[in-house]
Amino acid sequence: MTLRNAVVMTLAAGIVLAAAPWALSAFALSLLLTCLMYAGLTVSWAMFSGATNYLSLATAAFFGIGAYVTAWGLATLPYAVVVPLGGLAAAAFAALIGAAILHLRGAYFAVLTFGLGELVRHAITYSEKSYAHTVGRVLTDVPEAPTVYLTVLFLAAAAIVTCLAVRASRFGLALAGIGADEERAQTLGVNTRRTKIAGFALSAFFAGALGAAMAVRWTYIEPNSVFNPFIGFQTVLIAMVGGAHTVIGPLASSIVFSLLTEFLRLQFPYLFLILLGLLLIVLVLYLPGGIASLWPIARARIGALGARLAKLESGGARG
Amino acid sequence: MADLALAARGVTVRFGGLVAVDDVELEVRSGELVGVIGPNGAGKTTLFHALSGVLEPSSGRLIIGGADLTGKPPHVFAAHGVARTFQTPRVFRDMTAEQNVRFGLEFAGRRRANGHDALGSAASILEFLGLADSAEIPAGGLTPARQRLLEIGMALGARPRILLLDEVAAGLTEAEVDATAQLIRRVRDELGLTVIWIEHAVRALMDCVERVAVLHQGRKIADDLPQLVARDPAVVEAYLGVEEAA
Amino acid sequence: MGFWLELVASGLITGGIYAVVAIGLNLQYGLMRIMNISHGEFLMLGAYFTWLAHTVLKVNPLVFLPVVAVALFLIGLGVYRLCFRRISRTSPSVEIIEARSLLVSFGLMFLVQNAAYLAWGADLRGYSFLDEPVEIAGARFTANRLVVLGFAVAASLALLAVLRFTLVGKAVRAMMQSPTGAQLVGIDTAVLHPTVFGVGLALAGVAGALLSMVYEISPAMGEPYTVTALIVITLGGLGSTLGALLGGFLLGVVEAFGMHFTSPSLKMLLSYGVFILVLLARPKGLFAR
Repeated sequence: MTLRNAVVMTLAAGIVLAAAPWALSAFALSLLLTCLMYAGLTVSWAMFSGATNYLSLATAAFFGIGAYVTAWGLATLPYAVVVPLGGLAAAAFAALIGAAILHLRGAYFAVLTFGLGELVRHAITYSEKSYAHTVGRVLTDVPEAPTVYLTVLFLAAAAIVTCLAVRASRFGLALAGIGADEERAQTLGVNTRRTKIAGFALSAFFAGALGAAMAVRWTYIEPNSVFNPFIGFQTVLIAMVGGAHTVIGPLASSIVFSLLTEFLRLQFPYLFLILLGLLLIVLVLYLPGGIASLWPIARARIGALGARLAKLESGGARG
Repeated sequence: MADLALAARGVTVRFGGLVAVDDVELEVRSGELVGVIGPNGAGKTTLFHALSGVLEPSSGRLIIGGADLTGKPPHVFAAHGVARTFQTPRVFRDMTAEQNVRFGLEFAGRRRANGHDALGSAASILEFLGLADSAEIPAGGLTPARQRLLEIGMALGARPRILLLDEVAAGLTEAEVDATAQLIRRVRDELGLTVIWIEHAVRALMDCVERVAVLHQGRKIADDLPQLVARDPAVVEAYLGVEEAA
Repeated sequence: MGFWLELVASGLITGGIYAVVAIGLNLQYGLMRIMNISHGEFLMLGAYFTWLAHTVLKVNPLVFLPVVAVALFLIGLGVYRLCFRRISRTSPSVEIIEARSLLVSFGLMFLVQNAAYLAWGADLRGYSFLDEPVEIAGARFTANRLVVLGFAVAASLALLAVLRFTLVGKAVRAMMQSPTGAQLVGIDTAVLHPTVFGVGLALAGVAGALLSMVYEISPAMGEPYTVTALIVITLGGLGSTLGALLGGFLLGVVEAFGMHFTSPSLKMLLSYGVFILVLLARPKGLFAR
């Protein structure tokens, strides 16, 4: 599928889905909203982490930063400004952190990004207490449900289009090269440091914007609820199941998991998470090639093609 | 007199207590075809790591085309026209051969350090190497010998002025080794590259290059015409001494 | 004077815990390249087991310490067998081992933590033990904190001694430096790996048990320790047990002072700050050779 076709399809789907607030019940709309949120989070996560194999566990931190930008800004700024602002704040934070830790090996990077959630949560708790003298914030003057829905829909579509565009671009090639063999890519002229930071910041932007957009669904915002590691976990799981090298994989997967979460999580909060944890373990251990979901789905096709051609080749004169 | 393509001045590379490259001085003129030999562990590949920016030398300077690039990251070396292959081919397994070669063209190759026609596109590079029919095959599916060629192709994709070849003839049959040596000569003659070639298949190298540097335990112990180096007692002892100990 | 002594001591006490946790993680990662992000959850289990033993069975926590160690060791053997052995066997490269073990342990973290929530609920639990104040050189401490420090140091030194002086310990160090070389000499990784993994978890459990004597416990208590342990390992130099020990103490003291002058909530920020600064100055760690 060419880039243009994929983008057109996305936009078409977006237009169709835009009718939802007037076609669906409140409950169904809410469900769809969650699906779109995870679709956006997962696709933007995969754009960086799927391509470069630098597993970022910082989604919760970026999401929370975006949510707090809304919490602080909604009283004085319009929703349409706060959302991209949340994205920018998260991106700036990512660029800063990335500059400091992206030169480390992948395993270190992953653990350190995981700690970011804690770090930001504590920092914000502290600043809220010391400077704002408050624990949580109440959001007043929130936009209506259709507005929120359309915003999240837009962000999800934007994430998908961005991901597609990146993948077709030189930047995306650089990211893929980093994931395939970083040192080799360097010797071929890729400024890996700059590329990684840019990719990390770009994926953080969407996580932050989504956080800013979704924040209005809570009337009371406080650090513990907003910086929830589950968001990061769910994003990674969805990407792992769906395949982090395509767009359609995470999309389908996020629908499934959003539904599962919606129906099971409230009933059996702890058991549900135990099962999800187990699922991730089993997935990584027993899928052929381990993290086959992180390898391109195209690999299966290329592998088959390669096998056929290799047979042709070895039957030929040279080789 | 051709200008200096590359100069390593007093380059030392240390890993903790181990000195892998010891105060090596090497000058290579534009268009030269230089060989680097030495017993295992002599520091040849480590020297290449330093020459391509992959490792920063503990001391010494690296001057590429007149610019002091010591301490700069590899992509800067690539931008100044240095390209290399690795001992074990490190191709991008999931990309096609054509994509592998195109990678270099998209990045370092954009600087057009070497404007030769044959380096103008992935197709022409594959053609030059005899890999044109494998263009659409994923690199992981190629035979090891062809992967070696692709490895060279990737480096050529960066449109370099200086090509560092690390044991590109290892594990090949005698006929394949000779073919490789011929290819290397063509790379220098037709594409106008400066080539530095590490090789264990010493015989083929000696017949091909114009000058040979010999490394032993990190130090350069000889740097001269092949026929003179072959008779150098220090070189003979380095190789024989290692054989006896083995 | 007493005040500064208290501050330093409080830093050493936290640092001692960091050291014990970091040494355990260091063994697992340094030897097997298994990045166990759920390491802290086993600290939490050690804390809960001790709490249970004390409140239900009325056992003295110190007496129970070896039981926790053995229990977590056995759990470690099981976890290795079920979750990580397969990764070591089927991964084509070290990077892939790291990536897979990271993902598996990420799942494990949620599994164990939520199992704890299910079993014991989200409320903070605790017990009091040796909380009489003690005075040394003008500084006041609670007795349990001194005990924690003592045992943390003892456990770390004991492990250091084992690594340095016993045959098994030397085998582990050999393997950490050169995996192929050690295998050629006949060291059996099939036995060594699970054992070392178990020891790593046992250390985490001991740290948790010690913590339970001083602080209240909750199912989420272990999370921050994994990150801190990684920071300590990086400070001390990967693979160096002594480095982990010294790095742990150092970080603890730096944090104690930092928190005093800013705020306890900024602990994580301080750790990260220290981490980044040290890495900028000495990329291989403070104590790396």
